[in-house]
Amino acid sequence: MSECKLYEQNRTCCALGGIFTALAIEKVLPVLHAGPGCHSQSGGFLGMANGFTAPVTYPDSAVPSTNFCEEDVVFGGADRLRKLTEEALKYYNADLAIIASGCTSEIVGDNIGEVAGNFEDSDVPVLHVSLPGFKGNNVWGHSQVLNAIIDQYLTPREVKANKGQVNIFGIVPYFDPYWFSTLEKLERLLLDLGLKPNIIYGPGKGIAALNRVPDAEFNLILAPWTDLDIAEKLKEKFGTPYLHYPCVPVGISETTDFIHELVKYADLDINNAEEIIKKSESRIYYYLQQQAKAWYGGSMMPKRLFVNASAAAALSFVRFAIRDMNFIPYKVFITEDVPEERQTYIIEKLKEPKYDGWQDFDVVFTTDGGACDIEIKKVKDWSLSRATLFGTTWDELTAKNNAFPFLAISAPSGNDVIIDKSYFGYDGELVFMRDLYNDSIRKFLGSGAVAKLDVAKTPSVERKVQAAHVC
Amino acid sequence: MAVNLKVSESATRENRLGSITGYNGTLFELAKSGCAGCLQNKKRTFQTTSNCAHTHCINQLAGLAGTLVVDHAPGGCSASQICFSAVKSRIPAPPGTLQHARVISTDLNETDTIFGALDKLRDRVRAAYDRHHPREIYIATSCVSAIIGEDVNSVADELTQELGIPVVMASAEGLRSKIWASGFDAYCHAASRARLKPKNERNNTINYIGFTNLGQDKVNPLFERLGLELIALTATASIEDFDRACSSVASFGQCGAQSSYLCGALEDVCDVRYFQHHLPYGGIGFERFFRDIAKHIGREEDAEAVIAEEKAKYMPIIEENKRRLKGKRVFIALGASFAYEYTRLLKELDIETVHAVAYHYDPKLDNANQEEKVAAATDVIELKLDVETSVNDGQAVETLQLIRKYQPDAVLTRGHDAGSWGVVEGIPALGCEIGLILMGYRGLAMFSTALADLVTNNNMLKNLAKHYKAPFSANYDNLAPHSFYRKVV
Repeated sequence: MSECKLYEQNRTCCALGGIFTALAIEKVLPVLHAGPGCHSQSGGFLGMANGFTAPVTYPDSAVPSTNFCEEDVVFGGADRLRKLTEEALKYYNADLAIIASGCTSEIVGDNIGEVAGNFEDSDVPVLHVSLPGFKGNNVWGHSQVLNAIIDQYLTPREVKANKGQVNIFGIVPYFDPYWFSTLEKLERLLLDLGLKPNIIYGPGKGIAALNRVPDAEFNLILAPWTDLDIAEKLKEKFGTPYLHYPCVPVGISETTDFIHELVKYADLDINNAEEIIKKSESRIYYYLQQQAKAWYGGSMMPKRLFVNASAAAALSFVRFAIRDMNFIPYKVFITEDVPEERQTYIIEKLKEPKYDGWQDFDVVFTTDGGACDIEIKKVKDWSLSRATLFGTTWDELTAKNNAFPFLAISAPSGNDVIIDKSYFGYDGELVFMRDLYNDSIRKFLGSGAVAKLDVAKTPSVERKVQAAHVC
Repeated sequence: MAVNLKVSESATRENRLGSITGYNGTLFELAKSGCAGCLQNKKRTFQTTSNCAHTHCINQLAGLAGTLVVDHAPGGCSASQICFSAVKSRIPAPPGTLQHARVISTDLNETDTIFGALDKLRDRVRAAYDRHHPREIYIATSCVSAIIGEDVNSVADELTQELGIPVVMASAEGLRSKIWASGFDAYCHAASRARLKPKNERNNTINYIGFTNLGQDKVNPLFERLGLELIALTATASIEDFDRACSSVASFGQCGAQSSYLCGALEDVCDVRYFQHHLPYGGIGFERFFRDIAKHIGREEDAEAVIAEEKAKYMPIIEENKRRLKGKRVFIALGASFAYEYTRLLKELDIETVHAVAYHYDPKLDNANQEEKVAAATDVIELKLDVETSVNDGQAVETLQLIRKYQPDAVLTRGHDAGSWGVVEGIPALGCEIGLILMGYRGLAMFSTALADLVTNNNMLKNLAKHYKAPFSANYDNLAPHSFYRKVV
């Protein structure tokens, strides 16, 4: 076997996918200086194959692009970009525009900063960000976009910090398949706790929310590593302290801990918080009693757990699965090219929750999305030691092939619409139970089934496949 | 003959066929200037995102059985492949029988853009081979590998020797062509170089080249009546399928965009006649196509019997739908072939097409007999088919202006988002079927039923339109359609 690193089954997309962070902010208009299909690569991964969503305000097909071609390699495309930006500002209602370059325009050396500079007198501020795919993936691109906004647009506050205002960062919009609903639910919880959450993504936020960023009392980073650079920058530029919480909390134990930590950090009303905790927990336990029959009440839900996902999703679900759902982690693959210096922290947080008979498990940092499937293939007959798999749409087939219960927790999550689904918080526990149980009963008949299987049918021939395709 | 398999790269549609992505006028004028070889492409000052030849080359190659694609590109250039492979876990098949598309990226980074990455490419191809043991490997080139001047073809030749399986380059640079169908050509070129061999014998088989064989069960009995077996050179086609296809009596394609190059190569290398000027969709299309095929193999009488039976079977449904659809006005936004195929289908149903947007237009295709025009031009000549039309490469902001102008009862489309722009304006959109499932009177019955149902009860969309706020300014709203073309000096 070759030792060479492989990169199969993409779990991230191009740096240019970072533009979805701009698209998540209302009326922030990207203007692309990239190839004709560059955006469709990211749009396919972050939109079509990740909940079938399209950005609002500007759907993918409305995003202006120079559609950089061969002649631009020879003559340069800066003039075309200038003209395109000019027209875009004329035709679109926008509060902010951001020019983004892809690989080709970067290699030929078109100066997008200079082009953006031509619009200094424009009513709509025009920023610029360099997003060539050869420099990083969409998570890197996300950071570039936020950095560009902070560096080129935000100005230091003139008044003192707004007591109780907390900016929410860490969740990468569109990359986290459940980003929007999670933010909606998180906002509600923070309001209930007496905070003033300031979220820049989603409807009704936009430029006004962006402008409020420097005023916050503190920033909340709800992720293992993404946006920590943003938190540092905001601290340096505006003096805003930050609370780093390792992941989006899922389920009872994690959410209650999260609330306690917030209460402590922001000096919130503890009695109010305990009331919220009590009410929420008892609601979940009511449902758990209702479902006792389905969950471990004589069922054979496999407890060995494989995870193939982003660090953020892996942390949220592994911690929850150990603490509240009886699972035993087996191997965890983390696939979004996490910087080395952040890896130890992630491992620590993954292994923090213990259980009786605790066993250590492997954590693999890789960009090879296919590594998990290869690992699972090493075992020929999984019916002897059944397992569960949390991953992406790529992994759904692995799960089907081995009759593993499966949950899509990370991008690309493309065989279902997501709409307002989220695993965040107390309710996330119920969403999780419903999804996983419903998948598992489609994979196991159980020995009591009054049914006869066609044992002669052995899987050997690959069947004709109807490719989902557009012409 | 435009197909030249002796060279390593396929020529783009713009260069090979004179295809265009910018036009407005009538189909009659478009076809006429196309046939006369004087078609002018209109360029734009303002445009939005489009689509990628690179993606479409890879998704087709990786769809083939026994194959693996190494993408010599930054990692993000293969990110959207999941869109084409996600379906694998939805197909009703016994567990273990399906696998995902195998696409492995060389993940080019900044250092690679400076120092080159041919050694990395060699290592990745070897490692990919070790992991999956495919029967052939395709190496897709990209914008980045092209700009930094990587000699991928030499590496492919070298690794063919080393690994003992075909390792073939597919020239899939997204920046080479504004027409994403050029990526289909790159797939067909590479697959033809790997898989087509000249054959002397002829079998009673007919090749269908398309994305999928969806609908094959419905049309097999029709071809069997002519004594023909249909070979589907679609996703999951094996090396053996291609081998058998080399001895077929004829080929036809789903459309000119996806299928022309492979059909042309089969004609060139294997002498398999390519039928392209009558596509088999709807009743009229089917009759002409089926008679052409029957004549080619001397089975005209059988064809007439089949046509009569099919017509009798499905006309009652079609007539009922014509009644339901009387007076409806329809807008089309589809690929180069299907924009005008559906214009003809609508005419067959006595429905007005208010405007047809084609995502590009090919004035000719890769068939050997260039006396035979492309299907759209053939319809202009034979059926006097005409329609107001424009060509844009998925330029939704142009299409939206036209949808707003015509306020049609329905938008016919698939992919590339024209449908959702209709929907938010309160106009229902049909995701059209293409390929074998649309063939013949059965296809027309299916389509007309879907369309008649589509225009019945649109309460949801009416409500949505009331609450929809477009992202455009008054400047855009007041623009006349086709205002984004660059002025010719």
